[in-house]
Amino acid sequence: MASTELETKAIPTLSKSITQVKINQFESCGIRERENIHNSPELAKQRLGTTYPIASGRMSVAFAAELLRKYFGPEVFHHSGVVNLKFLRPVKEGDAVTISGQYNSSSEVENGTLVTVDITCQNQNGDTTAIGQGSAVIN
Amino acid sequence: MTQQKLPELDYNKLEIGEELGTYEYVLTQEMIDEYRKSVDDPDGAFPTIAVKHDATALGLAYEDNTGGVNAGNEIELHNPPIAGKKIRVTGRIHDKYSRRDKPYLVIEATATDEDGRLIERMRTYQMKKPDEVGKKWHPQS
Repeated sequence: MASTELETKAIPTLSKSITQVKINQFESCGIRERENIHNSPELAKQRLGTTYPIASGRMSVAFAAELLRKYFGPEVFHHSGVVNLKFLRPVKEGDAVTISGQYNSSSEVENGTLVTVDITCQNQNGDTTAIGQGSAVIN
Repeated sequence: MTQQKLPELDYNKLEIGEELGTYEYVLTQEMIDEYRKSVDDPDGAFPTIAVKHDATALGLAYEDNTGGVNAGNEIELHNPPIAGKKIRVTGRIHDKYSRRDKPYLVIEATATDEDGRLIERMRTYQMKKPDEVGKKWHPQS
């Protein structure tokens, strides 16, 4: 796909329902078995002062990666993709997170054209939970 | 096997550029399946995101009794990992700094597979005063 096509191509919006089961599943992919602020209400209370565990910010990274893979295509995104997110608010059980993107810019780089997309994650209240950019290099 | 007691993490003593060591694990199909279910993405190709390579490297090097809040992540994707392959991860302290009187630690990990394919490079910006974030989210308490 040419980078000029990406300028006008619609970026899909994703919606993700967050449950504690999914948060725990995500944590269970790790190679160290341990309790943390994502799967233990006690530790979340002790360390954060919250009454609930929070989802790992990395779940939002995974959501952004899905959005960008659908936009760029896996053959491009899986070999040159970048996701850069800043986490602004907690995501927790019961939240519905919407991940959206907007074309930002293209620039020539050594091995092709670097296409950059702005990414926003919002919860069901319209609060921004994460913001950042993603990119990939089109040959 | 007796597990070696890890040194306690002391933010002030951490050095930028400090190596956190190398570890290996086998990425199983079960891990991939579990990851895909957790993020509702049947085509998710980088379950390594959930393995948290950089935080794992820190956790294998130090006993961190403070914890931290993930303020941000940067990930570069190079090649999707393959089920059954051994993944080799090398971690380091990329940076540390203070912003608005809060200490931040930036950890980094690079992952390759047993065939030498570069899989991903990940950085995490940890804010090492997690209770401060809790207060911000719950200003009434």
